[in-house]
Amino acid sequence: MTTPLTELQPELHGPAQLDVPRPTKIRRMNREGYKINWWMTALMLVASLTILVPLYFTISMALKSPEQAASGTGFAWPTDPQWGNFAQAFEMTNYPAAFMSTAFITVISVLGALGASSLVAYAIVRNWDRKFFRLSYIYLLSAMFVPFPVVILPLIKQTAMFGIDNPLGVAFIHIVGGISFNSLLFIAFLKSIPIELEEAARLDGASTWQTFRKVIFPLLAPMSATVGIFAFLGSWNDFLLPQMLIADPALQTLPVVQQLFQGQFNTNYSLAFSSYLMALAPTLLVYLFAQRWIMSGVMRGAVK
Amino acid sequence: MSPSGLTRRKLLSMAAVAAVGLALPACSGTSADTITTIRLQQNKPEVVEYFNALIKDFESKNADIRVVQDFNAGNWVPGLIRDNPADVVTNAYSVTVADFTRKGIFADLSDLPAAAMADPKALELIKSFGQYQDSELSALPFSLAAAGVIYNKALFAQHGVDVPTTWSEFLGACTTFQAAGLTPIYGTFKDSWTLGQPYGYASGGTVDLADFFSRMPLTAEDLKSDPTVSFSSDFKIATDKFLKILDFMQKDAGSRSYTDGNAAFAKGGAAMYMQGPWALSELTTINPDLKVGTFALPMSEDPTETKTQVTLDMTFSIVRSTPRLEAAKRFVSYLMDPAVVNAYNTKFSAFSPLKEATVNANPQISGLQPLITSGKYYLNVTNYFPPAITLNNYFQTLALNRNDKAFLTTLDDAWHRVATRNA
Repeated sequence: MTTPLTELQPELHGPAQLDVPRPTKIRRMNREGYKINWWMTALMLVASLTILVPLYFTISMALKSPEQAASGTGFAWPTDPQWGNFAQAFEMTNYPAAFMSTAFITVISVLGALGASSLVAYAIVRNWDRKFFRLSYIYLLSAMFVPFPVVILPLIKQTAMFGIDNPLGVAFIHIVGGISFNSLLFIAFLKSIPIELEEAARLDGASTWQTFRKVIFPLLAPMSATVGIFAFLGSWNDFLLPQMLIADPALQTLPVVQQLFQGQFNTNYSLAFSSYLMALAPTLLVYLFAQRWIMSGVMRGAVK
Repeated sequence: MSPSGLTRRKLLSMAAVAAVGLALPACSGTSADTITTIRLQQNKPEVVEYFNALIKDFESKNADIRVVQDFNAGNWVPGLIRDNPADVVTNAYSVTVADFTRKGIFADLSDLPAAAMADPKALELIKSFGQYQDSELSALPFSLAAAGVIYNKALFAQHGVDVPTTWSEFLGACTTFQAAGLTPIYGTFKDSWTLGQPYGYASGGTVDLADFFSRMPLTAEDLKSDPTVSFSSDFKIATDKFLKILDFMQKDAGSRSYTDGNAAFAKGGAAMYMQGPWALSELTTINPDLKVGTFALPMSEDPTETKTQVTLDMTFSIVRSTPRLEAAKRFVSYLMDPAVVNAYNTKFSAFSPLKEATVNANPQISGLQPLITSGKYYLNVTNYFPPAITLNNYFQTLALNRNDKAFLTTLDDAWHRVATRNA
């Protein structure tokens, strides 16, 4: 049932794209289809260095002994690779516990962001003619103007009162904090989905929930990918919220426990970088496996 | 496609999420009734492992107490907000920490045996920032980090220079190195905080800092009485001497960072380096053969006037509101045991703040020991400034534009601005 609908997508988007003519883009796409643009390739190769050079530093520093990290140039490849750095960093940060805590927050945040934001967006778009929903849209958007540090102290107090001064509370705040931006993305996307599809489902006897679950949510997939990626990166890398909200040090997340390597005057670079490498490994692996899907998701977000 | 299948899958996934959600927080509440668990907020990442070993030792001697170390410094204030702060806190004592003291966050420790063992001079420094109800002792000193001028012994011997004991001897030594084409002092202005060292020596040697800052207005109320004390009047000599010291730093000091400085000095790139003991382990990591010593920078022509600069690098406080006060006191008493204090300070190139301190024989810092023993030390000037004053940036500006008048006026203005908004 879902597959045919997904295939329908390009046609569905036809009318929406007609509103905004993009002749330059189309011309370039045609040219790229026939021959390789060497200038652009060279430019992209240079641009890729912005990722590859820091990655090289991370890997080479992670394998250096403290002596080599302190004395040699950054570009030097470790003469005597110290694989033990990983074991030491693993032990010092109590990696499994910190990893589980971070993963727990991330999974809940991503699922929550997808679920909550898409439902909110669906409700608002389909009730656009009602004042309450239009106002709630503005209300949600206005949350984007509240700088986070302003509300951090009340949040600490409230999470403690509700007994969620732990990873669950962090995940909850991630979901709530992301709801305005994520709904904005979903709302923009939902507006391009024709109402006729829903009417067809209704005629077949689908309830509102079934319509959403079977028709709308699958159609949202490209935007869900974008929202999911933002939510994943945001909560996996978040430092401030876990640092402030998690009371029990045993439940602390990876970015926070990694402070361990950074003293006021002394930074243990080799251990720090092996720890960073272990922290970014899951992100990297997810990216490698889901590369194509992620690219299409990001592009979809860019055009909409 | 049937509604029941949909519901089952949804129910299962929701149950899984809920189960994980309930299981994780549950991990935290496993302490048994007979065992008291206290939390130690320890904000110095480089000694986390050392403290883990101390905790293990303490727990083996005190079976009824468990100690959890929290090294997430950001958890301190949130802990206060949620009425669940750590029981024992370590702090590098400064005006920022004293703010908590004056508000009565910390318990009175003056009745602990350790309070009687501590050097009165060190206790005086803690009290100089203000006490709760003007009588309580809110922190016990554990470690004094004494900072001076780190010098390369081989270069000093090679150029026939003795450790200077007066200001003019120091200038003479600098000139000798300069004439030999060697950088006398390695400067690292790029990391503006490193300028706090030379300015600390220059001001600590020419101004009675504890007295000066006790006279400075702290609140809007104090300002009304129109105090005549100011940086412009008292810090003129210090600022001039600071600029004189900077004259002997290398030309590119403005673009060199702390890590550059460590690398350059360790490889013999300069004769002297104005850093605290925290740099010593970095220097020997880079060049294990390096022989260095430390001397207190003499700021006058009378060698007996020379004092050394210290920071109260680690102090212990117990939170007043803790329901586990007895356990916390036992833990602090264990940490303040002379054997523990001396072992820690020997290992981390610092000095014991106890009356019965063992002499630190580490040749890298032993040059400062006589001054510590005789109580000739003062706190680094930066410890007296609240973080609202961006002192390090002002140092950097002064180092680059050398406008001493503007620098002192800026300090006065900034100090008054902060005092005005303090009730």
